[in-house]
Amino acid sequence: MVDINTGRPDHIEDALIKLHKGQWFTWSDVNIKVYANLQLTEKVGIDGDIVDNPVTTLPTEEEVNAKLKELQDAWDAANGG
Amino acid sequence: MALSKIDVSKMITGTIGVANGGTGLTAGTADQYLKFTGTTTLASAAVSAGIAGYDRWKLGTSFTGDAQPITSNLSRTAHGEFSKIGTGMSESSGVFTFPETGLWEVGFQAQFYGDANAYGRIQINWSTNSGASYTSSGWADTSSWGQPNGNNGNYRTITSSILNVTNASTFRVRVEAEQQDDSDGSVYGAASDVTFIEFTRLADSQ
Repeated sequence: MVDINTGRPDHIEDALIKLHKGQWFTWSDVNIKVYANLQLTEKVGIDGDIVDNPVTTLPTEEEVNAKLKELQDAWDAANGG
Repeated sequence: MALSKIDVSKMITGTIGVANGGTGLTAGTADQYLKFTGTTTLASAAVSAGIAGYDRWKLGTSFTGDAQPITSNLSRTAHGEFSKIGTGMSESSGVFTFPETGLWEVGFQAQFYGDANAYGRIQINWSTNSGASYTSSGWADTSSWGQPNGNNGNYRTITSSILNVTNASTFRVRVEAEQQDDSDGSVYGAASDVTFIEFTRLADSQ
């Protein structure tokens, strides 16, 4: 997640959580959070029910990186960057 | 002639009861203690050596919005200084099953991250019918209000429930986290125990 000292987005997980809401993604290895390990979850919890994940397609690596850059640019603009 | 010593091994047969200052026992069991089983009877009995059941599970991946319930990215705390006590909990799609009956305390801590006007809620839900229906018990709110200069920040909350698990095969627990009023917060998941659920067996079921 974001840089703990500054709050600036610095990891692809910062971007992924902004692409969709809920627990739509997971990692094949939670200790190595890189795009190659990104996976869709099978189920999500919505309004008390466990249902199929409505997100059915992973974003491309380029889309994730673009979202991260968008978040970083917004943070930089808001913090005098 | 006054007696200075009494050889009890030659003068007494059987046991000396509690009423006469004895134990009423002929033998004990290694590593056990004596306890009163009546007003005048003692027995050798085991003493529970601390907590008999404990487990902790953490959220490893963050999310925005709601998870009602949390269904994924849960794993047992795995740092080197922790190991579960007893059999441990079973988990599938965020639904936890207890290893044995008992009076269990379930604790849930969540850390949120969001803007200056975000607030979140966490909740513990339990079921006695294998998850066919759930009852809410134990919820807590938190907010980021007061973050300086409107900046994003962390905010955290904790809740717990005491659950009388009388049938371990049908009792279930799950947790949920939500952003109130569609606020733009996220629940923080990490390799360390930032958002986690813990289970402590306090006593036998009631």
